[in-house]
Amino acid sequence: MSAVAAAAPAAVVPERAALPTLNAHRTFAGVMRGEWIKLLSLRSTWWVLGATVAIMTLVSFAAAMSLDVMAEDPLTAPALAQMHGAEIVSGGSQIGVVTIAVLGALLVTGEYSTGMIRSTLAAVPTRLPVLAAKAIVLAVVTTVVTLLSMALSYLVTTPQLTTYDLVPALDDSQTWQILGGTVYFLVAAAFFALGVGTVLRSTAGTVTVALTVLLLLPGTLGFITLDWVETIVSYLPLPAASAFLSTGDMSELGGSPLTATAGLLVVAAYAVVPLVAAAVLMRRRDA
Amino acid sequence: MIEAHELTKRYGDKTAVDHVSFTIAPGTVTGFLGPNGAGKSTTMRMIVGLDRPTAGTVTVNGKPYAKHRNPLSEVGALLDAKAVHTGRSARSHLRTMAATHNISTKRVDEVIEMTGLTGVAHKRVGGFSLGMGQRLGIASAMLGDPRTLILDEPVNGLDPEGVQWVRQLVRLLAGEGRTVFLSSHLMSEMSQTADQLLVIGRGRIIAAGPVQEVIDSVIGATVRVRSPRLPELARLLERDGVTLTPADDGAIDLHGLTPAQVGDTAAAHGIPIHELSPQKASLEDAYMNLTQDAVEYHSHATAAAPVATDTSAGTATQKGQNR
Repeated sequence: MSAVAAAAPAAVVPERAALPTLNAHRTFAGVMRGEWIKLLSLRSTWWVLGATVAIMTLVSFAAAMSLDVMAEDPLTAPALAQMHGAEIVSGGSQIGVVTIAVLGALLVTGEYSTGMIRSTLAAVPTRLPVLAAKAIVLAVVTTVVTLLSMALSYLVTTPQLTTYDLVPALDDSQTWQILGGTVYFLVAAAFFALGVGTVLRSTAGTVTVALTVLLLLPGTLGFITLDWVETIVSYLPLPAASAFLSTGDMSELGGSPLTATAGLLVVAAYAVVPLVAAAVLMRRRDA
Repeated sequence: MIEAHELTKRYGDKTAVDHVSFTIAPGTVTGFLGPNGAGKSTTMRMIVGLDRPTAGTVTVNGKPYAKHRNPLSEVGALLDAKAVHTGRSARSHLRTMAATHNISTKRVDEVIEMTGLTGVAHKRVGGFSLGMGQRLGIASAMLGDPRTLILDEPVNGLDPEGVQWVRQLVRLLAGEGRTVFLSSHLMSEMSQTADQLLVIGRGRIIAAGPVQEVIDSVIGATVRVRSPRLPELARLLERDGVTLTPADDGAIDLHGLTPAQVGDTAAAHGIPIHELSPQKASLEDAYMNLTQDAVEYHSHATAAAPVATDTSAGTATQKGQNR
């Protein structure tokens, strides 16, 4: 009994070539548009983005206000002279990096925790375009939000910066290095979280890793003065980023032993390595 | 058309799907039947490339699923009603899927209407009942207007009206020449919707073919006979391969004989017949019979005999089906 095949009585209906009348064609642009809709149709996205803008602006404003205290204290007053105004404007990035990392994590872990990933990968079974589209969408959103935060910060800190003659000049290359570097750093942090999130598939786990690497480790290890620990710390994302985010050696983190270029490369590694691991695992694992 | 060849999936030392081969012909509704944990969902996930087979291959319309340019218009799959982000509205969910294939928003609204979700299209999926989740799953399966539909337990969680709707939809889709492959652990559901059956137990195909053929092959045709000279007739009919079971009201049920054979024998000996009726074995009976081995094998995993029996039976049906 060639059971299934032969007994198909309805084989009267041949494979009608005309059947799919719907015009459907998968493209990478389509996959990206899908990711856009995904990102913008979640309330959590708007919460995280709103929080990022608010926190970054507030921290920057607070930094500007603390200039008064700095100026009065004879210990810190000399530092004021070496400070660049753009550092104040981008001052919220150390906190913004955390909310942006949460966004990067949620973009993929939200899919794994709800089961959405199975719908996603059924639509795009080659899988890697999904990761690429997520990374691009994330980079765009992060850039826009960071620029918006810094524009707002610029507005609210200008009166205070004027007092100390620190308003960042738009024709100063250092201004653009710091502002551009901030965008670069936050995009890298978002990629880091996206990569780790794809590997771990868990929101809690990813956020914990991101918080630890981005904030906790530089903070806690910073108190240890052993040489080799200090070397490790300088290669953590935040200290490495300070190599291109601060101008003088007056950074609160105590400056970076890395050159600006080395800092850029180290930060890039934090973005690229998890993403490569994510790509390999995403292709290989069962959804 | 779905073709699986020696499809196998192992998780560690547990074999979920064990050298499964089958063909799902176009234009048919094929029921994939088996107890929970028999390997139905794993098989279906391998068809759409979500799980990677440990060994063997499976193709859809001649190609592995992932090799299709527009997979959503080849195969629509409802694998898990919960494969949706709970924070998104039903419509947004469908739009994200549609966008990947540049499917119009008009089509999104079409499938929303088709599945009766219009009223809740803008509500977040997190608040959906299981039945509404199933409808959304079916809506996303229909999105690309696919030639093949794979539905894993589509009536699970639906109210009677919803069950009726799924049955009609499935028949309608098959009538349009589409291939429908749907799973269930309920035999009765299959009798309502499927024309072909693929029965799986403990990762192996244990039977395949048209619904009635599968049932007959397991239970064998039963003929009920009533006669004033029944003991005499029974003696005449008794031979190897024939079993006689007394029915409750003085009739007997014969297994292994056709009504014609019984009638001819009776006529040859001048025995009057008061009733001679073929009995349809119930689906549930057939199902229990089919899966019994698999269940027994499960509880006496160390006993050698049932293992051997089970294996040979499984292989035989598989080979028969491949021919």
